[in-house]
Amino acid sequence: MTLLDVQQIKKYFATQKAVDDISFSVAPGSIFGLLGPNGAGKTTLLRMMTGIIYPDSGNIIFDGKKFDPLKDIERIGYMPEERGLYKKMKIGEQALYLAQLKGLSKSHATQLIKEWFNKLEMESWWNKKVEDLSKGMSQKLQFVITVLHNPKLVILDEPFSGLDPVNSNLIKDEIFRLAKNGATVIFSTHRMEQVEEICNHIVLVNKGKKILDGTVKEVKQQFKENLFRISFDAMPLNTNNDSFTIVRQNDDYSLVVKINDGYTPNDILNYFLRSNANIYSFNEILPSLNDIFIRLVEGTPATRQFQNLSA
Amino acid sequence: MSKTLLVIGREYLTRVRKRTFIISTILFPLLYLGLIFGTGYITEKTSRKLRVALIDSSGYFNKAIVAHANQQDSSSFIDYVTMDPDTVKKNYTSLGYDAYIIIPPIKWEEGAKNLSLKTDKTYGVVPVMKVEGKLNAIWSTIKSEKLGIDENKRQILNQSNISVDAKNVNDEKSNAKIASGIGYACGFLIYFIMLIYGSQVMMGVMEEKTNRIAEVVVSSIRPFQLMLGKIIGISLVALTQFALWIAFIFIIYNITKASGSASNNVSGLVGSVQTVFTSIDVPLIIFCFAFYLLGGFFFYSSLYAAIGSAVNEDMREAQSLAFPVTLLVIFSIVLMTSAMADPTGPLAFWASIIPFSSPIVMMARIPFGVPGTVPWWQLGLSMALLVLGFILTTWFAGKIYRTGILMYGKKPTWKEMIKWAFRKS
Repeated sequence: MTLLDVQQIKKYFATQKAVDDISFSVAPGSIFGLLGPNGAGKTTLLRMMTGIIYPDSGNIIFDGKKFDPLKDIERIGYMPEERGLYKKMKIGEQALYLAQLKGLSKSHATQLIKEWFNKLEMESWWNKKVEDLSKGMSQKLQFVITVLHNPKLVILDEPFSGLDPVNSNLIKDEIFRLAKNGATVIFSTHRMEQVEEICNHIVLVNKGKKILDGTVKEVKQQFKENLFRISFDAMPLNTNNDSFTIVRQNDDYSLVVKINDGYTPNDILNYFLRSNANIYSFNEILPSLNDIFIRLVEGTPATRQFQNLSA
Repeated sequence: MSKTLLVIGREYLTRVRKRTFIISTILFPLLYLGLIFGTGYITEKTSRKLRVALIDSSGYFNKAIVAHANQQDSSSFIDYVTMDPDTVKKNYTSLGYDAYIIIPPIKWEEGAKNLSLKTDKTYGVVPVMKVEGKLNAIWSTIKSEKLGIDENKRQILNQSNISVDAKNVNDEKSNAKIASGIGYACGFLIYFIMLIYGSQVMMGVMEEKTNRIAEVVVSSIRPFQLMLGKIIGISLVALTQFALWIAFIFIIYNITKASGSASNNVSGLVGSVQTVFTSIDVPLIIFCFAFYLLGGFFFYSSLYAAIGSAVNEDMREAQSLAFPVTLLVIFSIVLMTSAMADPTGPLAFWASIIPFSSPIVMMARIPFGVPGTVPWWQLGLSMALLVLGFILTTWFAGKIYRTGILMYGKKPTWKEMIKWAFRKS
């Protein structure tokens, strides 16, 4: 069962294949990370999922049916990368207006806004204007507006950009809470450490194509180099065995080793258990998403070149 | 549709509640009247009054007759000098004169052509004409005396005239002078409102685009709804302002009428306003004005919205793209001025039928009388075409808007924008 199924969608602009044949699916209640370097096509992809623009070809299936922006829009909350609010409008009225555009009744919207404002300590903001807010504050407001109508699918484009650690954590906690309450969250970012912390599932896009798809664990397994780290109370005298090759020897009496083909971690442990040194720790070194990201994206030109497409 | 209403409500309320709306509603009529009367007053006050020394060698002029003319007409000052002509010629500036004129020994039956008013600076045409007019007034007094016409007879000569006003047999009430006054006022008012509120639409769209609100909003409603909501909302603001002005006029009119008996001036004014009201069909004009105001506004403001969606925060980019559109509005005013000279001619007809100029030109023609000057079928055709026209421009603008509102970066050209409009979604 998937909440959102993206099937072979394409979007070509005059000079770019912004999204070129991408498919993936998002499980309900999951936190889904859409990763990619700048200009990879993330925002275009998200805009198609919110019905702001239409794909040139391909399908989007939302909740078992073909995505119909006019009807499904009320069950989606979208926060664009560059946040937008009316600067001169009072915050309370603004939140009310945007909530009503999402189909909430005035009284229901008012009640929800008051609840959220209470929760995030924003009660005193009602009659202020957006131009009086700091960047972090307006981000909080934007987030509240995005999730106010209790959407089934929350799409956040770079929700952490420009936030300090405190506000960043605040948003992060809210994302967790949304997922716990049954909402599905899709967000795009190029900050890998947050992805590792938050996401269940990731998709990596580069130059309009999908280059990686899986859970964080799967991806790490897929890209692991079978490296282990072993630390001792003193360096063993003999560190030569068929089961592994030493990658690095550290000064703190620890080794980084790579398992040779046909052997298991147990073989390494068995070998060292029989040696004269006491083992303190033994753990697998998994690549960070950051490493994987850099490895996959590196070597491709950092910025996309403009091409002439007749499409 | 209910969401479009929400957008309309927001656009309307945020504008009407602003202090600038109230101020501009009150100030605009004052400024408008100030512009008309003020410029007249200022030209009157600041126009140069030439002091001219008159040296007469014909012997017809005398001090009394010149002094009498100076009393009658203060737009220049002529001094009958008896000094030696050569001294005057040399020293007229130090004697306090701007110019001098020498009347040669002429005969009263013949007059004089091409006398020169000698000056040491170049003066405008108007002050010199005033001097000429005064000299002619004096000359005509002199001629009357020579012919033996006394003051009474002269008054008869000057004042018993035949004046002609055109009366259209199809429309007995119409009065060309009042009609052209009202026509001009309506045409210019529509012109101002279209330009002022049109640019408000453009700036509103630009604000939404540069603040990236558009992206949030179009994830809730269609871009076309957002654009339409904005245009309708702002048009209602314009209509509110117009309704307030009409209300002002009626209130002021009724107050002056009530207190009219007190002074002659006021009752004279009330009388002339009454002449205006009876010579035109007020409800028809108000209805047509509202119709052409809205129609013209929709026609142009959707284009302004498209421009606003295409550019970024740079006001200059917007202005350069808006220039062709603004030019059309200005051109309409030029057409109106020519159409007023001949309100039933072919230019007036075509300019009031074709949608881009019809809001201004037709509105200027209507006070001349329907169906006397503007037959019903012309009015109907013009209205139908205007509706068709604004549906077309709104559709076209909607297509551009949809693409432009999410497009950042380089300013597109009109050619590219037209390409957006005809691309499939």
